[in-house]
Amino acid sequence: MDPSEVEFIAEKERVSIVPNFNNATVHLISGDVGPFRAGLPVNVPVWMALNLRQRQKCRILAPDWLDVDKLEALKEEEKASKYFTKMPSEHYMVVAQLILSAVEDDIPRIEEIRMAVKNLWDVRISKLRSSVDTFIKSGGSHARLDYLTTMEINSVRPLLPHALDFIDRLNKASEGAPRRDLSQD
Amino acid sequence: MEDTFGDDDFFSDGDGEPITAQKVLQTLEEAWLNEKFCPDLLPSQADYVECMMEQIQQMEENVNKLKKNDFRVEVHHMELARIRYTITSYLRSRLEKIEKNTAYILEQEALRGPENSYLSEGELIFARDFLALQENHCKQLVLQHVPPPFQDFMPTQQSLVPNLRSHVFLRAKKDVDGVVIEGDRDSRDEEVDLEENSQHIMQYKPIANFVKDGTIQLI
Amino acid sequence: MFCHGLISLDGGCQQLCHHRKIMSLCHSYVPNYFSIPDILATQEKVPCTFEVQVKHLGFLDPGSDKRDIEVGTNIELPFWMASVLKTQRPAIADVGLPKIFKESYRDILKADPVVVDLHKLAPYFYEFGMSLCMLNHRESPEIVNVLVESFKQRFRKILDWAQHSNIEVPESKKLDNAEKIIYQAGREVGSSLHLWLTEGGSLIMAAGMVMQHKKMKLTQRDLLQ
Repeated sequence: MDPSEVEFIAEKERVSIVPNFNNATVHLISGDVGPFRAGLPVNVPVWMALNLRQRQKCRILAPDWLDVDKLEALKEEEKASKYFTKMPSEHYMVVAQLILSAVEDDIPRIEEIRMAVKNLWDVRISKLRSSVDTFIKSGGSHARLDYLTTMEINSVRPLLPHALDFIDRLNKASEGAPRRDLSQD
Repeated sequence: MEDTFGDDDFFSDGDGEPITAQKVLQTLEEAWLNEKFCPDLLPSQADYVECMMEQIQQMEENVNKLKKNDFRVEVHHMELARIRYTITSYLRSRLEKIEKNTAYILEQEALRGPENSYLSEGELIFARDFLALQENHCKQLVLQHVPPPFQDFMPTQQSLVPNLRSHVFLRAKKDVDGVVIEGDRDSRDEEVDLEENSQHIMQYKPIANFVKDGTIQLI
Repeated sequence: MFCHGLISLDGGCQQLCHHRKIMSLCHSYVPNYFSIPDILATQEKVPCTFEVQVKHLGFLDPGSDKRDIEVGTNIELPFWMASVLKTQRPAIADVGLPKIFKESYRDILKADPVVVDLHKLAPYFYEFGMSLCMLNHRESPEIVNVLVESFKQRFRKILDWAQHSNIEVPESKKLDNAEKIIYQAGREVGSSLHLWLTEGGSLIMAAGMVMQHKKMKLTQRDLLQ
């Protein structure tokens, strides 16, 4: 999948905005949003938040985890843990990227936050890479991947599944099956 | 002003059970990702697609009645564009598989019989036409020019067969017990339980039926 | 932000977005009828020893001007031909191992598979090796072992090259063809992810064909019928 498609999926996540207008609940096919009361926070999908913000109809409230100290703590926890730790959002990286690019003027220390998100991502990705390598070397065919986010999974696709498919084909070669049957299993 | 259209429309899923448009959309979104990541062609969700297309059309008519400067116009348009993307991408994934594995898919479809059809009506016509075009193309280009013993068009030999042993990423939507992973030359068969909400990478074959019945979501 | 091929919310937005093709289905490589790598892999030569006399085919042996192939003649033949000769009942020829799969080379690969230039030694190392094993050679299990272990050890490099850099690593020329296929697939993802991380979100572009359809005012409903 292209990263922009993962982004498309992540845009369904909800964030808080503070609208500067009043409107009754909007009945979207994907569910109700609103009502909107000027000055009162309301939860909307990310794609809508970005659109309203672009039209200067709202202020986006950054999720509480989008904070230097909290992100640092998450990174330390990630480093200390053998397994992947649970992220505050299933799409933390995408949500951070999108929100941070949209709220540039509203949030102080934005560069620091951006850096902290990137650091967290880097720690997890390098952990993912070594687990993938260990997994391949172990010869296993099944692994549990709890708490990996879609963008992270996508970063080892198709490399990991294709490598496993390939090893599977190599292993089956000694079974002496006729050539054509390889693909027909 | 109250927004008077949208979620009060209900559909029937064929068993007389009403489903909300929201639920239809969610089913399609799941079907889209499953189809994208599944090596094999999954049962068609053509009914849901048709149902959502009607919903989109109705929504468009309603939105056209709104004043141009109403803030909802753009929001609704954006949502409709998103839904359309999901549907086209879903249908395109299926067509891609049909083009790639034409003979195999038609063969499997024939084995299943018309009651358990995986292809929509349109897809079936497309698959048959596509195979006929391929045959015609092969004959015109090559086969008619080679000696008679080699002139047969052999679609099953030439068409790709999906590798059901391909590895996929998945999330269990409910507990699934006793999934058997076939061993290879130096490991035995292994039985695993997939806990609700856990994520895994493994071969598609042992979990194929769970993807089809909706217990497992490909991710 | 996202933009759709069939509906564009903002006429100008398309100029801003990357002309990045949405990746379609991405299945792993399996040999098949029309696959060029498969044709090339089965073209590799293997040593054959004839077990019966074959009339009129003496020309296959470049070192001889006889009319027939005599019993005991050794000739190198492409795998696809050799496998047919070997699988006849009774077999017409016995198929030996090319040097790359003999014990001495297997030992080199076992010692340190990562440094070996497979492209130079056998560009279709794995596919060719698998094909050979299908002939039930008595050393098949050993060969499979070397194939699997070599790939497992060399995979880390592929993983690193594919994700670390957005240029093709010169060292990747040492990969065999199957490794290259996997490396290229990984590299595409690596560079699109890199682009996404550095330049942020982009608009989803429809493939070229769909844009033309749009001009034809093709509606969704037509697609479905």
